[in-house]
Amino acid sequence: MIRVLIVDDEPPARDKLRRWLARHSDIALVGEADDGLATAAAIARLKPDAVFLDIQMPGLSGLEVAAQLEPADAPLLVFVTAFDEHAIKAFDLNAIDYLLKPYDEDRLQKTLARLRERQGIEPGTAAVRSARSQTGPSDRLLVPQGEELQLIDTAAIHWLEADDNYVHVHTAQARFIVRRTLADLLAQLGAERFVRIHKSIAVNIAEIKTLSPLFKGDHEVTLRSGAVLRLSRRYKQELFALMGG
Amino acid sequence: MAPANSNRALYALWGLFWLLMIVVAVEDERQNHFIAWWEPLVWEGSSCIVATFWLALQRRVSKRWDEHLDHPRRWFGKHLAWLPLIILGFVSAAYGMRHAVYALVGRTYQHAPWGSVFVYESVKLLLFTSLWVCIIFGFASFARWQQERERLLALQKHLAESQLAQLKAQLQPHFLFNSLNTISALMQVDVPRADRLLTRLADLLRSSLQAGARQMTSLREELQLLELYAQIMEERFAGRVTLSWNIADDALEAAVPTMLLQPVLENAFKHGVERSRVPVSIRIDAIQRDDLLHVTIHNSGATLAAAHGSGIGLRNCRERLDLIYGKRASLDLVQDGDGVAARLTLPRSPE
Repeated sequence: MIRVLIVDDEPPARDKLRRWLARHSDIALVGEADDGLATAAAIARLKPDAVFLDIQMPGLSGLEVAAQLEPADAPLLVFVTAFDEHAIKAFDLNAIDYLLKPYDEDRLQKTLARLRERQGIEPGTAAVRSARSQTGPSDRLLVPQGEELQLIDTAAIHWLEADDNYVHVHTAQARFIVRRTLADLLAQLGAERFVRIHKSIAVNIAEIKTLSPLFKGDHEVTLRSGAVLRLSRRYKQELFALMGG
Repeated sequence: MAPANSNRALYALWGLFWLLMIVVAVEDERQNHFIAWWEPLVWEGSSCIVATFWLALQRRVSKRWDEHLDHPRRWFGKHLAWLPLIILGFVSAAYGMRHAVYALVGRTYQHAPWGSVFVYESVKLLLFTSLWVCIIFGFASFARWQQERERLLALQKHLAESQLAQLKAQLQPHFLFNSLNTISALMQVDVPRADRLLTRLADLLRSSLQAGARQMTSLREELQLLELYAQIMEERFAGRVTLSWNIADDALEAAVPTMLLQPVLENAFKHGVERSRVPVSIRIDAIQRDDLLHVTIHNSGATLAAAHGSGIGLRNCRERLDLIYGKRASLDLVQDGDGVAARLTLPRSPE
C-alpha cells in the first residue's frame, strides 16, 4: 500500500488526480493540501509515502516545500507542473519523477509504476537535494509552533543547537524545536550564513559580537543577544578564517 | 528623392542668378549709345553658358566628394583645387565665344590685354566660385541632413514596432497548460462544461493570435476577451473568486491597445486569488471622463507588496503604453481599501 498526499492549489487539478488514483487498489489517498504551508504540515502529520506536489503554489512553492524536508526521510516526490522549463531541465530524471499538465492516465500509470518500484527502497532524497539546488539556501525556515507550522526568517535565527534527533532554533523571541539533523539544517540554510563552533552548535555569523580566549586555547563566542557559547578547538580554525583573523 | 529635389532647387537658383546678371548688364548699358543692345547679352550669355557647363560638371563630379561633407575644410579644398583649371577654361571658352560672335557680325570684340584679363577674371572667378561652392555646400549638407533624418526616423519607427511586437501581451504558458489541465479534469465528470471551457479557451487563443496583427481595438472587444479569460480562471479557482463588471456604456467604443488589460487582470489573480486563503472579489470598472478612459481592476484581500507590480506582465504593459502614448497614459498600482487596485488611464488617441 502506498499512502499518497495530493497537493495543488486548483480544485479541478486535485479532482482529476484523486479520481484516477482511486482506481488503484494499492494506492491510499491520505490527504490533500492547497498551499505550501498546509503541505508541509500535512507531510509532517500524515507521513505519506509519496506526494504529488504542484510546483506553482501560493506562499511556498512546491520546490520551496521540498527544500524544507529532511532528505533522509522525505517522502517520494512527484513534481507536477504546468510549465516550468527551468525546474524540469534541472531534474535528474533518473531519480526524480514529474508530471506535466495536462497528463493522461497512461502517463500517471508510469509514474505509479516507478513509485511502486521505489517505495521502501529509497526515500525522496534526490528530489529534496534537487529542489534545494534550485531554490538556493532557504531564506525562510519552517518551524513547528504548537500544532501549526510557521515560517521564520533565516536571518532572525541567532543560533542552532543539536539535541539528539532534534535541533533547537534560537531566535530573539523564542526557541523552536525541529526534528532535523544539524548537518542537514546547515545544508539547507547555507554555509554563508551559519558556522559551526561546536559539534552540536552553529551560530549565525552576523550575530557574533566577540570572541574571547579562555584557558588552554579554548575560546568563548558572545552573541549580540548576550548568549555565551563555547568554541571547541576542532572548529577554531574555521571560525578564525571566517572572521578574518 | 531628396537629392533630386535639392538639385532642381539649385538649378532654379542658378537660373535666377544669371537672369539677374543679364538684366543688370543690359540695363546698365541701355543708356550707353556706343554699345549695341545685344552686346551685354553676348558677354553675360557666354559667361552663363560656360559657368553652367561648369556647374553641370561640378554636379556630376562632386557627388564623390559628398563623403567629405563632415569635414568642410577637406570638401572646400577638393573644390577649390580646380580653380586654376576653371579660370583657364572659363577665359578661353567665354572669350572665344565672344570673339566668335563679334566676328560673325563683322566686328571685333575689344577688351583689355590678355594679362589684365587673366588677373581680372581670376579675382572675379575666385569670388564667384567661392560663393557658389558655399551655396552648393549648403544644398549638399541639407540633402545629407534630410537623408540622415529620414534614416533615423525610419530606424526609430522600426525599433518601436519591433519593441511593440515583443511587448505584445501573450497568454502565459502557465495559464495555457493549467487551463488545459482543468479541462482534462472536468472532462471526467461534466463533459458539456468541459466543452464550454474548451471553447472559451479556443476563443481566447484565437483573439490573442489576432491581437498580434492589430495594435488597437475597442474597449468592447477587449472586455470580451477579458471575460473569456475571467471565466476560465473562475473555473480553475472555483469558489475562491467572484468577479463584478461595472462598465459605463459610453466607454465601450474607446480605443485601447489590444490585449493590454489581460495581463493586468492576470496580475490581480496572481497576487490576489492565488495567494489568498479566503475568497477574493475582483471588480472591473471603466468610465470615460474628460476625453480620458479610466479602467480600474480592483482585487480584495491583498496588500500592496513590493513584488506586486514588478512582474514582467505589468512592466510590459507600461512599456507598451510608453511607446504608444508617450507620457500621456499611466498604469499605477495602489492600495485601495481592503485590496489593491490597478488604475489605468488612457487618452483618446495615440498621437
